[in-house]
Amino acid sequence: MNENGTKRRDWVKNAAIVFLSVLLVLTFFSNTILNYSLPEVAGQYIQSGTITSKIRGSGTIESGDLYNIQINETRTVESVMVRAGDEVTKGDILFLLADKESTELTTAEDQLDAAILEFEMKILSGDISNAVINNVQRNNISSVSQYQSRILAAEATIESWQKKVDEITTKISELEATINKLGYSTTDASEEAKKLYNAQSAYDRKNTELTTAKSYLSSLQSDLAKAQETIKYYENGLTVSGNDPADIQYAYSQRDKLPAMITEAQATVTNLQTELYNLNVEVEKAKAAHESKSGNTGSINSLKIELENWKLELHAKEGSLKEAQEAKTQLLTDIAQELSLDAQSDTIEKLRETVAELRAKAIGAAIEAPVSGIITSVLITAGADTVAGTPIATMQPEGKGYTMSFSVTNKQAQSLSVGAKADLVNAWYYNDVEVTLASIKPDTTDPGQKKLLTFHVTGSVTTGQSLSISVGDKSATYDMIVPNSAVREDNNGKFILVVESKESPLGTRYTATRVDVEELARDDTQAAISGALYGYGNEFVITTSTKLVEAGQQVRLANK
Amino acid sequence: MKRFLHKLSVRQIILGISGIVSLLIFLIFCLVIHLESNTQVSQQMADRWSEDKNVSQVSCFFSANVDITPDSIEQFRHTLDAALLEASIIQESPNAGARLWADAYSADGKITLKSDRTALEADAVGIGGDYFLFHPLTLLYGSYFSGNDLMQDYCIIDEDAAWQLFGSSDVAGMSVTIGDIPHIITGVVRREEGYLYEAAGLNSTLVYVSHDTLSTLGRSNGINHYEIVMPSPVSQYAYNYVKEKIGVDEREMEVVENTTRYSLANRLKGILAVGTRSMNGKAIIYPYWENVARGYEDILNILTFLSIFFLLYPLTLLVICLVILWKHKTWTFRSVWNVLRDKWERILETKREKRKSKKMREKS
Repeated sequence: MNENGTKRRDWVKNAAIVFLSVLLVLTFFSNTILNYSLPEVAGQYIQSGTITSKIRGSGTIESGDLYNIQINETRTVESVMVRAGDEVTKGDILFLLADKESTELTTAEDQLDAAILEFEMKILSGDISNAVINNVQRNNISSVSQYQSRILAAEATIESWQKKVDEITTKISELEATINKLGYSTTDASEEAKKLYNAQSAYDRKNTELTTAKSYLSSLQSDLAKAQETIKYYENGLTVSGNDPADIQYAYSQRDKLPAMITEAQATVTNLQTELYNLNVEVEKAKAAHESKSGNTGSINSLKIELENWKLELHAKEGSLKEAQEAKTQLLTDIAQELSLDAQSDTIEKLRETVAELRAKAIGAAIEAPVSGIITSVLITAGADTVAGTPIATMQPEGKGYTMSFSVTNKQAQSLSVGAKADLVNAWYYNDVEVTLASIKPDTTDPGQKKLLTFHVTGSVTTGQSLSISVGDKSATYDMIVPNSAVREDNNGKFILVVESKESPLGTRYTATRVDVEELARDDTQAAISGALYGYGNEFVITTSTKLVEAGQQVRLANK
Repeated sequence: MKRFLHKLSVRQIILGISGIVSLLIFLIFCLVIHLESNTQVSQQMADRWSEDKNVSQVSCFFSANVDITPDSIEQFRHTLDAALLEASIIQESPNAGARLWADAYSADGKITLKSDRTALEADAVGIGGDYFLFHPLTLLYGSYFSGNDLMQDYCIIDEDAAWQLFGSSDVAGMSVTIGDIPHIITGVVRREEGYLYEAAGLNSTLVYVSHDTLSTLGRSNGINHYEIVMPSPVSQYAYNYVKEKIGVDEREMEVVENTTRYSLANRLKGILAVGTRSMNGKAIIYPYWENVARGYEDILNILTFLSIFFLLYPLTLLVICLVILWKHKTWTFRSVWNVLRDKWERILETKREKRKSKKMREKS
């Protein structure tokens, strides 16, 4: 029994020693053990400073006023004398071209031949009057106002004749009405009527002869004009298709012979006009005799004769009216033909000039620098053919600036203003480059959400070079600035965790305390905040931790 | 105690000890499950977002055929605002700028970073929204960036990438070029290690850039993850809302409610779904954090299954004991009642005696 009691006491004693030893160890190392179980945090004190929201971007330098060098011929480049980046002055040779007719020259020659042929065929078609041809050949083309005057004169003539026709028609109507009213007369005036008829018949025959004579005269004049034209063409060296020496000879003989014949025909016409005048006097006498025989006014026969006379007069006036109308139609045709021929003549002239110019360039041609500047790109190689109207090289003219552009979001563009100076990201590479924001416009690729920033660039840069810049001039000073990593967020908004210290018998204890804040601005590394902080910069905010830290949780500071 | 033990047979003692050990193992499993389920910070955004339990974190994973764009996500955000307003869920925090919800999206891809020393081609995650709210990686230097920041030319690299590019880890604030465009390294993070992470795809350098940078300057596979933490006034509200309104065919996406994925109910469902759980008819490539989370799901399911087993064993023993005791009981309910009443009267008697003696002492 005593042995059992001793064993029990030993066991109790040993247990007590172990228990007390553990307690002692835990007491000594309690702080250390506690610290190692706590999340380790790092941070910094709240500071004041400036926040500048910078917009960064990269773009390629482009010429502000690029000059395209091009020719309007398809030519083979024999040698390229410059390379991209070369500085040239105005007149420097950039390309040598091979001595060979260009495609454009061949084409222009073909076009000239075709235009001449068409012009000549039109002249010789016989549809065009000599006067028109003469005008075109002498380059005596009327102005539009002159054409208009001639058309108005023709219309006035027509109107005049139409008025006369209308008056005679009215007169005839009145006479016919009077005759119908009086009925038939018994007076015998048949002899005088017969004489009058004969006189009138003689007059009509003579008139026919006169018309024939006039027509003959006109044909002679036409033949003379044709002969003169043929001779002129021949003498000016113009080739007329289908012409031969016999025709030329015939034209010369006609030109010599026809003037005499025309003079003779004109004399015949004059004689016939005189005779016609005499016959007209006879007709008037016969009319008077007939009237006196057939009685006073009111006589039906007299009225009938008068009616017949008026009808004759009406016929003559209608003839004149028709002639006037035909004259107007002819005038319009002549004007159209004259203008058409003149246009063709101008085309031929231009083609001649083009051919002459291209022929002059065909040999020993070179392309020279149109302005002084820097060659930015050469777009063709030796041996290749140029394409008319397509640039073969581009130049940056001397004194002209460069541009660069890149796209940003609308939100980014809101913080910028035109005229802002941009900083180069790798500024140490450049010493005299200045970049200025020139425009902010909607980006055509996404006009709803993006803006295109265009910058004006000056200094030692070249086209095609890539530049990275940062721009932004809206900076502000704030009292409380913390690192971005210090600002946290949950559904109660943004907050920071501030470390608060409390002295205890086992040492200083640190606790993370939540402070709700409002983020006022932010840049790449820092954020400006406002909130219920009254430590005037003495608050130590947690930026990083080894574990997730909750508000109210005890923490240990790094390096403590 | 000694007398009680003497009454028991050796077999009963062994069974009793094994039952107690089994119960202890069950409790240890419960503790392990609790600890392990809390290691996945990417799954605990709801806890971080609100102290109240009325928010939920929901993740969507899209197949490669789905054409999700930042614009379509923006459209979803607008409809969400309208829906919350309609449900009378409004922000009541006095803090200016407090939000009811936060979201993030990301795209996988490849990108090449160049420093003055070398170039590095790495796997990349192109992020949009508040990605790092959902995935608070361990920052060694610097800070996170957000898809809502004014500039999007930022990147976060791991220490391995920092070492390769600069020969140092402390490189926050330095610049690398991506597709000839300078980008600022805002932070350096520690890459998670472990067989699960390596198997999940985090076995090489991973770089975080903005979605804009990845899509324009890298090779992007398109947005294939979207996650949101939002109010969920009733169970599954957030899950159902996102599933219906995100605008993607259910056959082309997987929606996960992260907040409850490790709950007991979901673990039991996972145990019951053994055999079918591994089947997948959708062309979805999960990001590493989801693969890890799924890995943990499997582990926790196994632990849950074992814990149930270790709980059932002592429970069975207890039931058997109770049945045996019941069969051999020498008491009746009346006798028990009488004993209890007797004890109660004794207690009262004792108290009366104490009061009486106290009064006597006071008088004397």
